[in-house]
Amino acid sequence: MTLFSAIAAKTYDHARMAAAPAPSVPPARSEAGFGAALGQFASTLHTAEATATQAMMSRADPHALVEALAATELAVETAVTVRDKVVDAYLEILRMPV
Amino acid sequence: MSDLFSSFSIAASGMEAQARRLRHVSENISNADTPGYRRKTVDFRAEIDRASGTTQVSVGPVQLDPRALPRIYDPGHALADETGFYDGSTVDLMIEIADAREASRSYDANLRVFDQTRQMAQGLLDLLRR
Repeated sequence: MTLFSAIAAKTYDHARMAAAPAPSVPPARSEAGFGAALGQFASTLHTAEATATQAMMSRADPHALVEALAATELAVETAVTVRDKVVDAYLEILRMPV
Repeated sequence: MSDLFSSFSIAASGMEAQARRLRHVSENISNADTPGYRRKTVDFRAEIDRASGTTQVSVGPVQLDPRALPRIYDPGHALADETGFYDGSTVDLMIEIADAREASRSYDANLRVFDQTRQMAQGLLDLLRR
């Protein structure tokens, strides 16, 4: 019986180690990654806006305009989809019976 | 996703190059009867974008046809010299039209790549959506 409880304790210890929160480096990095993605998103929007303005003033190439708008469409759609997913997950947690 | 984005810019560079080529073809065609006109051609070269590491196409400088201008006999022409000849243009309409058709085909191909890229990205997002 003592042997069994010793094994159980050891297993628990392993599990505890595995489930312990990792040191704070990964969260910081993921936050930075999210910030970078957001910055990239903003710069994509900004480029599209500038190109569209220039195309209206017939200075920019229409190809550049189409390219910028397509990239923006994709970026916005990605952002909207990710937002919907996050909101869905949040609502799912809210609906969880406590 | 960034590969899909760079596909956009690569396809756009291809379309831009073909549009430029068509521009020179139309210059040649409109000047087919201009005395002393030499047909313009451009060549394409691969251009590596250092920031994204993609290879796009860029258009080289305009080159003029080095062939001798054809001598056309027309004593009544305003530019004719004392022998009755004047310099024609080096434009051959058949070649220009074939060139224009080729530019159109290449443009279409780039357009398809653009559309395909968009569809692939859309498909990926649809996967996330459901």
